[in-house]
Amino acid sequence: MSEGKILDIAHISFLDMIKVMIAMSGAASAKGTLIRNAISTAEKIKEVDYPTFEEFLAAIENSTNPITQVEGKSSHQGGFVFGLTHCPFGPSIKNYTGVFEKLPDGYADFTEEFNKPSKVTEIYRVGEGAGVSPFCSVHQPMRSAIAEKIRIGGKKIKIYQLGCKAGSGKKGFADRWLAETGISREVVDKTLDNHMCCYYLQIVE
Amino acid sequence: MCQAAGANAGAGFCHLAGLINTAGRVVAGNDALKKILIVDDEEDMVWSLRQNINNERLQVEIFTAASGEEALKVLSSNHIDLVLTDIRMPGMSGLDLLLEVKNRFPYTMVIIMTAFPSNEFKKEALLRGSLHFIEKPFDIKELRDLIRHALREENVFKGTVAGVGLSDVIQINGLSRATSLLRVKQGEHLGIIYFQEGQVVHAICDELDGEEAFFRIMQFKGGRLDSMSYTDLPIRTINAPVEALIIEAARRMDEAGLDDVASGPVCADVDLEDGVEYKESAPVHVGGNNGSGSAMVDRVGTESAEREDEMSSLKDVLSEFTNIPGVNTACLVGRDGFLLDSIAIAGIDTEMIGAIASSGFGASESMGKQLGKGAMSMSMIEYGNGPVMLSPVGDDAFLVIVADKDANLGMIRLKIKKHAGQIAETAAI
Repeated sequence: MSEGKILDIAHISFLDMIKVMIAMSGAASAKGTLIRNAISTAEKIKEVDYPTFEEFLAAIENSTNPITQVEGKSSHQGGFVFGLTHCPFGPSIKNYTGVFEKLPDGYADFTEEFNKPSKVTEIYRVGEGAGVSPFCSVHQPMRSAIAEKIRIGGKKIKIYQLGCKAGSGKKGFADRWLAETGISREVVDKTLDNHMCCYYLQIVE
Repeated sequence: MCQAAGANAGAGFCHLAGLINTAGRVVAGNDALKKILIVDDEEDMVWSLRQNINNERLQVEIFTAASGEEALKVLSSNHIDLVLTDIRMPGMSGLDLLLEVKNRFPYTMVIIMTAFPSNEFKKEALLRGSLHFIEKPFDIKELRDLIRHALREENVFKGTVAGVGLSDVIQINGLSRATSLLRVKQGEHLGIIYFQEGQVVHAICDELDGEEAFFRIMQFKGGRLDSMSYTDLPIRTINAPVEALIIEAARRMDEAGLDDVASGPVCADVDLEDGVEYKESAPVHVGGNNGSGSAMVDRVGTESAEREDEMSSLKDVLSEFTNIPGVNTACLVGRDGFLLDSIAIAGIDTEMIGAIASSGFGASESMGKQLGKGAMSMSMIEYGNGPVMLSPVGDDAFLVIVADKDANLGMIRLKIKKHAGQIAETAAI
């Protein structure tokens, strides 16, 4: 440990626990465990129905929107594309790498595992290239699962993860979800220039 | 020349056509009594045995012979239950006599008496079919106990049981916690598998000992199988559980027999006689091809060949497992623990099983990597009420097979190997 740096034990415990899970039972199993846990957390969210899309946006602004309560404020870029300014795991990653210089071994494998097509990433429309760190496997499914608790004008909503940006600035794009939503890669790329996460909200007719 | 007991004190004695009772008197032959033939060229030994074998607890009709050749004559004209023979005799040796007895009088048991015991000799005698050994000099009480023990084995059912495989017999021994040995003969090959309280503890086959001998025996395609008890385990060479041995044997059979399976199965008639017997039978050719795969492999091959075209859905493929007696649940699970499909008995939360199993599967795989064991082919967890088997399917999923404790694990193993590719294809994983 470098001298003079402060370590948040909650951060190190969480990040190192992921490392242990990867070592003990492999990246796929660790990924599944984290995703199930995230979905389980989302299921605790109370259902809410916003009369209009504008009221949904207002709830983001005043931080009463369930998604906002979990990940912080996102901003509507137009055309139902949203950008999240701060990654909710940013402080943890920053704290960890600030002390230990680099993230634990196995994280790259974990991220690769998350981006593979699978049943759960299909159900929640995440991954597929949009994962840039292991924490995306917690964050993205959790947001999609929370969205299942939200209605707008009585209609269900769906979230598609379009892209994400790592702390290093490297961007990841989910070509599959770009294709399904019809959102161009350029729009997502531009959103990620000043956001860490980009997703599309669909109101299911 | 054969003589009655009281008249054969001199050389050339052959056999006693009567019973010497506890008072040392010869009594009339009795069909209800078991018949023992003592074979030894040492007159004193024969005399001593003749005088002392019978007592209050053991009443047998005793015949004697001074050589192997004379013994065969006695055997030809009398139904002898047990032969007690020395090993070193002029002319035909005790081992050669043993071989003749097993060939010509398969229901006659043999006890070998020897003053020169060795493991090699015991192995050879066992392979030729001897039940027991007794080392000279021996206590007469010890011999009586051995004879009583051997003759009790006559009081068993004899007959023929069809449709039983060698792995079935081994599993039956395991379930019944038998302490016995199986003598397996196929053509020129002989093998013996020792059980101790149901566990396979030793095997010999041709020049091999231990697990390799066991696996070679398991590759026999038909043959004769005698089940018998033993009193003296030569050495313990096997410590693996029966199920693990059967699975490994099945894997080897599968690997060795894939071409044979592909080219047509053999139907092996399996008979149970004098304990258990397998009979070799002519192969049945399917699809115009010749083949000589093992019975187990072939049953799988035949069934799956018939059904292959029908298995268009994952459920169809999974039912291949749940159709095995004793298998109650089959799940296909993504490596991340999310359930892809399943057939399960009521009360099993397959979603939860998938999640939990993914940790177990991943842990097994991680351990293999850590130990440098290469790719994982199967993991089995044994519980009191039966095993759970985990096996990879493609790169991104695995099977969970939940079985009762009496399920045919070798069959499950083979079906996994047989259908893994098809499952991966059907599930598009």
